[in-house]
Amino acid sequence: MTDYAGFEGEQSGETYRSRRRAALRLLVPVAVAAVAVAGVNLVPALASDGSPTLPSLTAEQLISKALGSDTQQLSGTVQVSADLGIPSELLAMAGHGGAAAAVTGTAGAAGGSGQAKEANGSAASPEEQLSALLAGDHTLRVAVDGPDKQRIALVQSLAEYDVIHNGDQLWAWDSSSNSALHLSAPQGAEAKAPGSKHPAAAPLTGLPTTPQEAARQFLAQSAASSTVTVDGTATVAGRSAYELALKPKQAGSTIGEVRIAVDSATGTPLAVLATGTGGATILDVHFSDVTFGAPAASTFNFTPPRGAKITEQKADPKAEKAQKAPELPNTPKDQRAPQGANGTNGTRVIGSDWTTVLSFHLPSNEGSAAIAGTAQGAKGRRLSGLGTSSLLKSLGKPVAGGELISTKVLNVLITDDGRVYAGAVTLPVLQSAAGVK
Amino acid sequence: MSQVEVAPTVSPASMASMASMAPTVSGRVPAGVRPQTAAGFLALFRSEITLTFRRTRTIALLGLLAALPVLLGVVVKIETGDMHGGANGPAFIAQVTQNGLFLVFAALAVALPVFLPMTVGVVAGDSIAGEAATGTLRYLLVAPAGRTRLLAAKFLAAMVFCWAATLAVALSALATGAALFPMGSMTLLSGDTVGLGGALLRAVLIAGVVALSLAGLVAIGLFVSTLTGSGIAAMATTVGLVILVQILDSFPQLHAIQPWLFTHQWLTFGDLLRAPMYWTGILQNLGLQALYLAVFGSAAWARFTSRDVTA
Repeated sequence: MTDYAGFEGEQSGETYRSRRRAALRLLVPVAVAAVAVAGVNLVPALASDGSPTLPSLTAEQLISKALGSDTQQLSGTVQVSADLGIPSELLAMAGHGGAAAAVTGTAGAAGGSGQAKEANGSAASPEEQLSALLAGDHTLRVAVDGPDKQRIALVQSLAEYDVIHNGDQLWAWDSSSNSALHLSAPQGAEAKAPGSKHPAAAPLTGLPTTPQEAARQFLAQSAASSTVTVDGTATVAGRSAYELALKPKQAGSTIGEVRIAVDSATGTPLAVLATGTGGATILDVHFSDVTFGAPAASTFNFTPPRGAKITEQKADPKAEKAQKAPELPNTPKDQRAPQGANGTNGTRVIGSDWTTVLSFHLPSNEGSAAIAGTAQGAKGRRLSGLGTSSLLKSLGKPVAGGELISTKVLNVLITDDGRVYAGAVTLPVLQSAAGVK
Repeated sequence: MSQVEVAPTVSPASMASMASMAPTVSGRVPAGVRPQTAAGFLALFRSEITLTFRRTRTIALLGLLAALPVLLGVVVKIETGDMHGGANGPAFIAQVTQNGLFLVFAALAVALPVFLPMTVGVVAGDSIAGEAATGTLRYLLVAPAGRTRLLAAKFLAAMVFCWAATLAVALSALATGAALFPMGSMTLLSGDTVGLGGALLRAVLIAGVVALSLAGLVAIGLFVSTLTGSGIAAMATTVGLVILVQILDSFPQLHAIQPWLFTHQWLTFGDLLRAPMYWTGILQNLGLQALYLAVFGSAAWARFTSRDVTA
């Protein structure tokens, strides 16, 4: 029995039972923690899991609704989460081997970096920055106003990377290096580029940075070779949406299913979720908030800040086309061919749709910088720079016909004569493409 | 086992002075009934503030924090040639040479992971354990304020110190930046430019967000402080926790729990430097701090109100 000055219990005038009170009070923080954690987990789940009731549509109607969507103006925030299982060494090479080697030249790319610097020497070059989207979680802020005005901001910790497209002007701005890349193209050439009618295409790279663009590319290419169903409804970014599920008809793909959430009102794809055959998420692109309507005009005006390093680049229409072109070959979205590199290393596309295999020669060391300069947008597949062969060999494991680098989605077969066969397909498909066995 | 009678002759306003051993007898209150008035709490709070800021240690800590931006500024000024355009230094350092205002953000970004939590850990960790160690806690509890209100006053005083610490960094950085570098319109992270007024407004907002980001740590420090009778142990534990949590935050394998670590979103204050401002991360950070405050605040309350205070 202990009474101390200052105890809350004194005022009750009752005998103070210290131990019981202590035990009871200890429950308070535990309860607070439990309620808080449960609340944080439940509230978003309750908010987003609600499946709105919508008039039923057939798969064909939904596809045409999505493809026919003429949403030209929107702004919002996009969450991109990719887990392709590509070894980080390869991703680094994809990002640095080309343009960016000039700035952050890794030891392996040192030989070619001199040439690369001349070709495209700015830290603000989109290929490096956007290839980061292929691994991990990222936040993008997008604003789109018709085919001529787009702005994409990659939100980083204490830094930001922006691509601003306004008419014939294209700026890329990297705040961490305080540098900007300026590209001006003749308006005519821009308009003819195949990607430009799609408002949310990432300028320069063709990487889909919005669910809208990713879904559009994917639907245009793969609807015919897929089993398409309308699979319920969902709420994305506070909007009710239909869920479109696509599964490959052919066997041999490592992609199990692609789900696309299509906004019920506008037909705009709001989310794309790709899962592997094992059920693991490969790619998750979704709006976390979206507003339909014209963004402020000032959003698309970019004046390079005082003191920034500005790299001017004259875009010749052909190069522009080559860069845009990889958007729409008939391959799923992470299987685009580096068409710009066609002549130099004999790139071939074998098969179609879900089981497309890409084949090319390992670049020789002398040519690597040149290839790197042109083969933009090919991402993890484009392997260049010194030490490529040895690095690849060290990552691969020997199989019939060569070395296999196996990731969650992509499989890459390097044959003994130095050809590379790659695709989101199983090993037998690669081997038959390579003519092994 | 001792029985300490509450002095029956204490006016609400004199509770604080009671704590500093100078009770003024001005009215009669029945024994055991505590006057729960706002004025009484205010007096207690004021006494805590005085106690915190009169200490040489607190002033030394604030001085240390104020010296940090000066050091940064001088180093950048001397080494301008090397730092220019380098993307490898601390955030914002490259921009400092163009606009002195960036020194505020650079200094806060440098101070937030280590220096600010260290000083806050010292103040919060010592707040109750220190009193227990020096034997003043039982006298403090003689005042009829109640332990809950004493805890609340201690917490608020520690929060005021967070503000003071953040302001010490920010104002010293602003002064150093203005003295050593040109001031003027500022380039945001998005590449847009805002005028000096807008930039200062963002600096004020950021200082506020940074100070509030430390609320979770204050609650943790207060809780640790109720667990032990040794001020040094409480301070070391709190500061050690900050370091431990930041190490955990750097392991990719712990990706699943990282959003729950109280340091995880500290650097989201930079989102205020975008155009338009991006609030999602900041609101998540403040929500997380509120959660830590609720959990560790109630834990501190549960421990402190049911603990034997013998020292």
